[in-house]
Amino acid sequence: MNALHIRHLYHRYGLKEVLADVGLDLHAGETLALVGPSGCGKSTLLHVVAGLLTPSEALIQSDFRGIGCMFQEPRLMPWKRALDNIALGLKALGVPRKARRRRAMDLGLRMGLAEEDLAKYPHELSGGMQSRVSLARALAVLPDLLLLDEPFSALDIGLKMELYGLLREQVLRRGTAVLMITHDLMEAVRLADRILMMVPDPGRLAREFTLPLPQEERSDLWVYQTTAELLQAEEVRIGFGLTKGVLSVAQGEHARHAGCSV
Amino acid sequence: MRAVLEALRGALAATLAYLWSGWGAIASVLLFCALWEFGGRVYGELVLPGPVASFQRLAELFASGVATPELVISARRTLYGLGMALAVGSALGLLAGRSLTAAMVSRPLVTLLLGMPPIAWLVLAMLWFGMGDATPVFTVFVACFPIVFAGAMQGARTLDNALKDVARAYRLPGHMLLTDVYLPHVASYLFPAWITALGMSWKVVVMAELLTTVDGVGAALAVSRAQLDTATTLAWIAAVLGLLLAVEYLLLEPVKRRVERWRPEAGR
Repeated sequence: MNALHIRHLYHRYGLKEVLADVGLDLHAGETLALVGPSGCGKSTLLHVVAGLLTPSEALIQSDFRGIGCMFQEPRLMPWKRALDNIALGLKALGVPRKARRRRAMDLGLRMGLAEEDLAKYPHELSGGMQSRVSLARALAVLPDLLLLDEPFSALDIGLKMELYGLLREQVLRRGTAVLMITHDLMEAVRLADRILMMVPDPGRLAREFTLPLPQEERSDLWVYQTTAELLQAEEVRIGFGLTKGVLSVAQGEHARHAGCSV
Repeated sequence: MRAVLEALRGALAATLAYLWSGWGAIASVLLFCALWEFGGRVYGELVLPGPVASFQRLAELFASGVATPELVISARRTLYGLGMALAVGSALGLLAGRSLTAAMVSRPLVTLLLGMPPIAWLVLAMLWFGMGDATPVFTVFVACFPIVFAGAMQGARTLDNALKDVARAYRLPGHMLLTDVYLPHVASYLFPAWITALGMSWKVVVMAELLTTVDGVGAALAVSRAQLDTATTLAWIAAVLGLLLAVEYLLLEPVKRRVERWRPEAGR
């Protein structure tokens, strides 16, 4: 089974240490959510996994070959029509024009975009449609690892639910592993199998929560309750600055994997 | 089949819309001619012949077979110099824009080159290359190069880092990075630079010919000046400007519109 293992990841920007001794495991078919306040190094960690950043020190072993990325903003190429934006990753893989356009069209339609929307340039699309295109672009390369950097944070609740559904379908169908960043605990509770709480200065993992309930059995009520319970956890309260206090996070491997089930 | 027809229809509509938008430009040129005519009436035929007289002289020049060869010679020199400047300037500018160090090093050099008067280059070129074709070609190249280089570098430097990250995250190979990411963005900086360079190239070539060569529009101007023939002088000027307008509005501007059709309309 494909997996990603990271141990002893350190990263410094100049003299400032932004990630210190971060380690995580991610297996195929698993969804891992990174939560934490701004500036705790979540995005840096994701950039390392995406290969956009070389960390100062790290042991990384990854069997994942196809990586799909979805960023905070849609980040579409403004000079490409929606269809060609979706097909961008396929073009990079050398898929012939006709085949990649057909696949992009299928995927675009499945994302709820109309055929005429796919012929438009990004500036002619609404924000929600741009997000759909961005998700379609990430899924087009048939990734076995999907990296999501708060992609849903600017969307309304209805659209969020719809994109959650599309994402879940992809995970179930293809066994894609997902590493997602979010500020939104409820989103993490809804989508993730495990939640990693990160704290800043320097960025490190404070605690891991496992959510054993299968996704299809998660009702809204369960999501609300679990989120409320999570918010009571000391690491979460201190990490997000809800309670004053100091976290003793000098935990080694042992503590990190002793996550409780909520 | 349907897609082809639709594409054809789109292209036709765009062409017609473009031609229609030309009325504004034509009106503006005609207004200028009216002012010219007025000036001609005030100052008299000897100092400033009106547009009618000038264009008549131009027609005579064409009819007698004098104009075409001279224009072809000048156009060839412009084309060589400008073509080299566009190719080398765009390529080097793109490369320089990709590296912070190269950009820092080349910035003051570009300012230096832009500030150097073309006439000074012309003197140097005369010393280096003598009185042949090489002198105007080199002067055109060296006058246009910094304009194009600066445009390309500016374009490459201003490409959004977020889009570069996308390109890297999706493992775009080198050639795609150029054709799918850099060039579409840089084009909006390159085209204005190319148009400026085009205008510059004709100015410089006429100047260079006036001083160094025995053929070409510049040399013909030198002759008409010696004969105090204002009408012929204006006819040559009109011919050069006409060519310039034709290249810009029949070639560069349509290409620019085609390349930049992804931009929001409000910018136009």
